[in-house]
Amino acid sequence: MKKENDLECTTEIYNYYGAKPEGGFLSREEKKSATPRVEKARQMYFDTKSSASVEFPYWYTRRWEELEGEVQIIRRAEALKSGFEHLTPAILPGELLAMRKANYLRGSYPMPWMSEGFFLSKEDDLFKEVQNAGKASADEVTTMGQGGGNVTKSVGSVISIAGKFGLRKEEMPILIKVAKKWFNKSVDDIGHKYEQLVPGYGTKEEIMRAVICMFDSGYTLPQGREVMNYYYPLQFGIEGIKDICKEKQASVAGVPGMDRLYFYKSVHTMLEGLQAWILNYAKEAKFMASLEENAKQKDEYLEIAERLEWLSKNRPRTFHDALQLLWIFHVAVLNEDPISGLSPGRVGQVLYPFWKQDMDKGVLTEEKTIELLECMRMKFTELDCFASMGVVGGVLSGNTFNNLCVGGLDKDGNSAANELEMLILESAMSCDVPQPTLSLLYDEKLPEEFLIKGVECTKIGTGYPAWVNNRVAMEFLLNNFKKEGMALEEARAWAIGGCLETSPGSWMPLEVNGETYYIPGGSAPATSVGVHFISLPKVLEAVLYDGLDKRTGRRVYPAHGSKLESYNDIWNVFKHYFSITVEVLTLTNNIQHDIWGKISPSIINSMLKPDCLEVGKDISNKGCRYNRTFNVEICGGVNLVNSLASIKKNVFEEKNFSLAELKAAIDANFGYLSALETGSYSLIEQVKTANYTDWLKIHKQCLDAPKYGNDDKYVDDLFKEWQIWFSKMCENYISLYNEPMYSCQISVSTHAPMGAVTLATADGRLCGTTFADGSVSAYPGSDKNGPYALFNSATCYDHSLSQNSQLNMKIHPSVVKGREGSRKFLEMIKAYLRKGAFHAQFNVVDSRMLKDAQKNPENYRGLMVRVAGFTQYWVELGKQIQDEVIARTEYEQIG
Amino acid sequence: MKHFDCKYYMNTDVFKGICKRDKNIINADDESCNHFENAQKCKHCSNFKSTQADLGMCMNKYDAYPEMLAVTCNDYKPR
Ligand code: SF4
Repeated sequence: MKKENDLECTTEIYNYYGAKPEGGFLSREEKKSATPRVEKARQMYFDTKSSASVEFPYWYTRRWEELEGEVQIIRRAEALKSGFEHLTPAILPGELLAMRKANYLRGSYPMPWMSEGFFLSKEDDLFKEVQNAGKASADEVTTMGQGGGNVTKSVGSVISIAGKFGLRKEEMPILIKVAKKWFNKSVDDIGHKYEQLVPGYGTKEEIMRAVICMFDSGYTLPQGREVMNYYYPLQFGIEGIKDICKEKQASVAGVPGMDRLYFYKSVHTMLEGLQAWILNYAKEAKFMASLEENAKQKDEYLEIAERLEWLSKNRPRTFHDALQLLWIFHVAVLNEDPISGLSPGRVGQVLYPFWKQDMDKGVLTEEKTIELLECMRMKFTELDCFASMGVVGGVLSGNTFNNLCVGGLDKDGNSAANELEMLILESAMSCDVPQPTLSLLYDEKLPEEFLIKGVECTKIGTGYPAWVNNRVAMEFLLNNFKKEGMALEEARAWAIGGCLETSPGSWMPLEVNGETYYIPGGSAPATSVGVHFISLPKVLEAVLYDGLDKRTGRRVYPAHGSKLESYNDIWNVFKHYFSITVEVLTLTNNIQHDIWGKISPSIINSMLKPDCLEVGKDISNKGCRYNRTFNVEICGGVNLVNSLASIKKNVFEEKNFSLAELKAAIDANFGYLSALETGSYSLIEQVKTANYTDWLKIHKQCLDAPKYGNDDKYVDDLFKEWQIWFSKMCENYISLYNEPMYSCQISVSTHAPMGAVTLATADGRLCGTTFADGSVSAYPGSDKNGPYALFNSATCYDHSLSQNSQLNMKIHPSVVKGREGSRKFLEMIKAYLRKGAFHAQFNVVDSRMLKDAQKNPENYRGLMVRVAGFTQYWVELGKQIQDEVIARTEYEQIG
Repeated sequence: MKHFDCKYYMNTDVFKGICKRDKNIINADDESCNHFENAQKCKHCSNFKSTQADLGMCMNKYDAYPEMLAVTCNDYKPR
């Protein structure tokens, strides 16, 4: 190997990949603050820790055990009913919208009927935590600022579960007891028994062990990444739906197709549970009123009690009622399963009839609307999801992905944006909290004033709204759901489910004051179920190492035996290994979801989704109008393509080094310490070993190879080839619902943990560092030709081939300052979407501020950043993701 | 007695909550005040029998735990 002084370039090579942010920083633009009531609630939220309780699983399990031998869906409904009936109500002073998931403000709970293994395998550790938590002073408890709302360590009477949730230690023994009751009975345990019957199951185990795939679909988050439908409660009220159930029950009892009978009975039972839950809250509101001396607060408690008593039976009378009912059903679904990405959808269009009625009557003002919408934002932000630990930390970054959409088209193809949506954007600026995140369904028909409002919201640094192309989404839906009867009109009812999943919807006729409004809502089951997050750079690593996971030495794929003598050899083996992965994961995940539907079917969400109630089938029996929602997700696509370009050019065309030399350089991590040793996860800050000069030349050649994001045809052609092949190949695999799968391109937070277990890559990325985020974002610092070059690269293929694409950009606040900055910003977004792009989202932030926030988190409790499809508090993100966000290219010019 | 055991204590998280009477923020495990009244918990129910630390039986047939809030339990009978 040559020494450093033999090289043409002896300078610091990492100025290729972004500069370290240094010096003072420019803050984001000033914004209006939330109403005093909500500002108080936000401060309380900041001081509140993520807390888990056992109440719901205790009562669920107790009832479940009592009903041994009962029809499964009835047993499930009774168990849910018991859980809801026994939730302890809590209403904070100042709340205008009542009710929550659990007794705590950021409350959640384990759902052992889904998976209990964690608690059983960690039983000893958890008991040790109870012993060692020791005595802590109140001060110690309240200074746990690091980690935001996460309970990062056990202290006093509280044990930390996985560094995230706090559990009172006196609840630990019963939690273990309840978990044990689900041993060999949970969806996880039973599914696991049957998935082992899939041929090639051993390969699946190795794929999971190597972290080529991050988690199973059916055991973790069986629902979510979908759009809620609030039509039935808004139109009929709870008693009205119960009446529908009773009528339907009578019409199907004894008639072949008896599952319908049990379904209707289960919905009826579950609604009784919801009524008890709502009335318990009404009672608590009265109790709070009885203790209250402040007349205004007393009235508010009494109003809550009256509203809840009304809504426990009837359809809403006002906008406030409708918003409260929407929230009740949203939480009710979330209490059914571990769920992330349950999107409220196009709330501004769903609630518009009630809002307009109240505004016309003069009983509501814009100020009051904003206050209510801010209260709604706090409610969504308080949501936590207690899923398996790898999922909550590694994938979700603690986020719950409730996406609210604005804009798009109405049933007749006109702009659907309305005055209430303008207020939704306004409240998202004044109450800038992570949930619900917003997506603006961009269409050329939307009014300029509405788009400017969207840009103003994006540029204050909230990370939302994300900008999503309405036409591309409709094209994707019509391509994929035509067979199930989707026509153009219905394609317009879509919204984003989860962080970025295009989800089908339908129009339902809501009657208010004698007028019929067609409101949009989700009409399909969960998406982002199927094959979760395949790490593409890790598959390529297995190609180079003949099917082995080099890190552990374990065999993942059968040895390919190819000498890899040409670029095509590498590409073909890659396709082969990728196909093996998709096949085995499709089959095993189909079994997991089948078992979920048999043991733990969705009742509440099924009831809400057209046409389950109509046809008497739950979601797992294809009761929804559209069912082709299983997908194949990938991660690290840009690192894959950059690596392929480097191999093609350096190894096979210019013969700068051989494949063996490249592998030796990868083994040596190009002469650097690994990210796991340095604790730094981007290329900005890495530590050289003594012999790094041995690898300097080859590393520079890898870094100099063509990089995606620069409008460079060489690498963009490879990107396009990959995209087309990937989207086509997914259709070869059939989901549980007997429909072909489709491709989905989001990384969420998986680009961090998946990068952490991947060796250095041929594009010059070092071992353990985080991959590029999203699907069409450039690798941080490697896009050097400005935003329009990045746009050309990103749109080198047809985005409607896939359920989504994802582009993250970081923009310096100085570029978008003032009205002129807003216009320039909007023009840039339009230019990208007009090229056929599906999605773009932005961090308007000075990287130096982020660096400062990493050093002094206590000064930045409210700082939010956009990660990959979601906005999250900086202090609640892991360092791997923080480093990646800091390293992203910061655009200082967009014109 | 601790705030945690009081009828007027409302959890906000596992460490702390607010007093429903005066709305002050209080630590769950700090000593209670003069207004203390027992919260409705299984440990105060005549159906509950303790079996070991933090565990017990309800009506001699269901596993139960003493600290469970029982404001929503229809079978609660104060001792
Ligand atoms: S009857 Fe209710 S309050 Fe009494 S011990 Fe049983 S569960 Fe607890």
